[in-house]
Amino acid sequence: MNRRTIMTSTLLIAATATAEPPPASQRNFVSCPIVRDTATVPCWLSEYDGELYYLGIQTDVSADFDPPFLGHNVLVEGTISDQERICGGIVLDPVRISPMLDFDSRCNTILPAEDRYTVPFAPRPPGPSGGRLAFQRPPPEPEVIVPPYAAREFELFYDFDMLIMGRHAGTLAQVLDYATKTGARTIEVTASSGATLLSDGTHMAEDISLAPKRANEVARLLQTGGLADRRFEIEAESEQESPDGVDDWRSRRTLIRVAP
Amino acid sequence: MPSSAVTRDLADRWPIVAAGVVALCIVSSAGAQHSAANRWWSEGSGHLLPGRVAYPNDYGELGIVNASGNYDTAGNAFFEPIGTNGRACVTCHQPADAMSISTQTIQQRWQETNGHDPLFAAIDGRNCPHLPSGDPQAHSLLLERGLIRVFLPWPPRDAAGKEITPEFTIEVVRDPSGCNTHPKYGLESDEPTVSVYRRPRMVANLKFVTAADFGVTPFSIKDSRPTDRDPETGRLVNMNMMADAREPTLKTQAISAALEHLQTDGPPSEAQLAEIIDFESQIYAAQLRHVGAGDLDEPGGPQALGPQALVDGSTGVLGNNTTRYVFPMGDAWKSLPRTGDADSDTEREFRESVARGHDVFFFRTFWIRDAMHINNIGLGNPIKRTCSTCHGMHMTGMDVANGWVDVGTTNLPWASTVLQDPWSDREPELPLFRLTCSGSHAPHPFLGRTIFTQDPGRALITGKCNDIGAIVMQQFRGMAARAPYFVNGSAKNLRELIDFYDRRFNIRYSEQEKIDLENFLSTL
Repeated sequence: MNRRTIMTSTLLIAATATAEPPPASQRNFVSCPIVRDTATVPCWLSEYDGELYYLGIQTDVSADFDPPFLGHNVLVEGTISDQERICGGIVLDPVRISPMLDFDSRCNTILPAEDRYTVPFAPRPPGPSGGRLAFQRPPPEPEVIVPPYAAREFELFYDFDMLIMGRHAGTLAQVLDYATKTGARTIEVTASSGATLLSDGTHMAEDISLAPKRANEVARLLQTGGLADRRFEIEAESEQESPDGVDDWRSRRTLIRVAP
Repeated sequence: MPSSAVTRDLADRWPIVAAGVVALCIVSSAGAQHSAANRWWSEGSGHLLPGRVAYPNDYGELGIVNASGNYDTAGNAFFEPIGTNGRACVTCHQPADAMSISTQTIQQRWQETNGHDPLFAAIDGRNCPHLPSGDPQAHSLLLERGLIRVFLPWPPRDAAGKEITPEFTIEVVRDPSGCNTHPKYGLESDEPTVSVYRRPRMVANLKFVTAADFGVTPFSIKDSRPTDRDPETGRLVNMNMMADAREPTLKTQAISAALEHLQTDGPPSEAQLAEIIDFESQIYAAQLRHVGAGDLDEPGGPQALGPQALVDGSTGVLGNNTTRYVFPMGDAWKSLPRTGDADSDTEREFRESVARGHDVFFFRTFWIRDAMHINNIGLGNPIKRTCSTCHGMHMTGMDVANGWVDVGTTNLPWASTVLQDPWSDREPELPLFRLTCSGSHAPHPFLGRTIFTQDPGRALITGKCNDIGAIVMQQFRGMAARAPYFVNGSAKNLRELIDFYDRRFNIRYSEQEKIDLENFLSTL
């Protein structure tokens, strides 16, 4: 089955349920994202099975949560938390979201601000910041790297059906830095495609051909980014992990092992 | 209008340079008349460019500051016709036009030389080299929009000259210049070439444009592609210099510009390149005096205004915050008591409008939607933000790093174009390409697999579907001196620029907001 077929069948909720559904605490589904404006920043929601779920708010590039795209459905992989509703939605935390590739013009809802929905915890306003990123993390302790150097692993996780994205830049820079400082001779790149188990029991799988694409792309970026003279061992997983509906997003991954 | 006291004060600090001493550089006082000939800096003139000099424009006067002091241009390769077509760098980067060139100047030059100035060289000052010499129609894109032909190999090549396999195919839908379908110059020629038409960028304030001390990381935060490096030093560069970011340094840019636009027989010598870079690295330009706001450089005035502010300004600062600001204006013009003097009060009223215009730029939120390399970099689509979200670099309003974005200036459906109909003889001026993204790659998240564009922008360099129509932002300085705007000259004036954004993002500015924003932009 090719990727397009899987996508289409998933979006139409026409696929056969092939497995036990995820635990009741999980909410994994594909649906339109919804923007709800507020007096400060907008919040992002999505509706599934008659219920509204809160995904996150608009902040900036320092956030772990990357909001979805109107015009596209979104794959939501989240855990129901016991927090009070935010913006009218049941809070999913943690939550991973993946914009789907295909357009869907129905996904075009921007709800106006209402007094009853507020996000007083917003770390930055909708316009200019107060001089800091929303999630300013303390700078890492300076690392002294001394021989003998140990092999070190780095992981990249992907949106569903996607290759490299801007958010991976930091990890790639860490790989480059460590490989350069240690004079590593070998870079092992192992990539996999993944599958996720939706709350309705649907098994939603990426095209298996994504694994070699991910591995080759990462290797090429590292080579052109400054590691062209290193030996690359590139591997793509030929099988997908069986999803259980919990943290399935971790199966969409590239592992980079820097071996001095 | 400024008071006479303001004018005198300005003239004291920006002394009038006698035409006989520096033939082409004129410092005005209010109301002074300047002939078009005096504004034009000819190739190889050998004149001195004063350390501080002002040039009149429709909004007042542009100020040029040479941080090195009076600059002897004699023999400097920026000013000398080092190629075979009589042009120099200064031909398209005129001091009077904020080191770019306006259509007003281009049209004057056409009239004064009957189209024989080197500016109108066939290679790129004509819509296509095969078109007839001396015919204004053959130069219409330069005369009407201020556009120079940029011709790029297709498929693109990487830094090592190796062919890149693009993610999309490119077809010519319409070709008013005939260049993209020409057997010698076009896509089907022996050396397949894409011709696009772009405005010459400002060659001033370059310490900001080339600063790599903020947000420049080994892999771009926009798409994790490796950031370009200086081929000589290996240092990361910010890729903000050219519309498509194809040249990493002032030096490589000078070489390619000399070969292509000046038609040199080979690369300039190291000494010539050093001269060009030396000049480019020390010149600053910004509006100095405004017909409405008066002296922009006066002590105690807004910190952002005037060219000296750029000389003194810090690089590598993200100004999209309330601690540093993109254009720090302070409160000096926020609320000005009236004096009862009509001229003075008119100026004060205008200054308050400028201050409000700044706040429209900085604080007025709207939904930014479907803008590639903004909405897809972790911010979501749409985001409720402001102009300064994207135009965040302190003092220039560029991006701090990797500033290519598709806001729709060249991509349909947003790009300005002529809707053909049987009741009008208006014809499209720019080429139109259909780019079809391969099924083996993810489609463009906002435009899909088939994209119509007047200029594929960054995609002509990377071959990436997501880069189609992505154009590096330009700085906001000296705008009063260098209309038209946008990479393809599609906004003839500041109001058209504002109207474009108003339509594109459904901002629904009030008329007063538009007036205030134009007033603000015209003081930069």
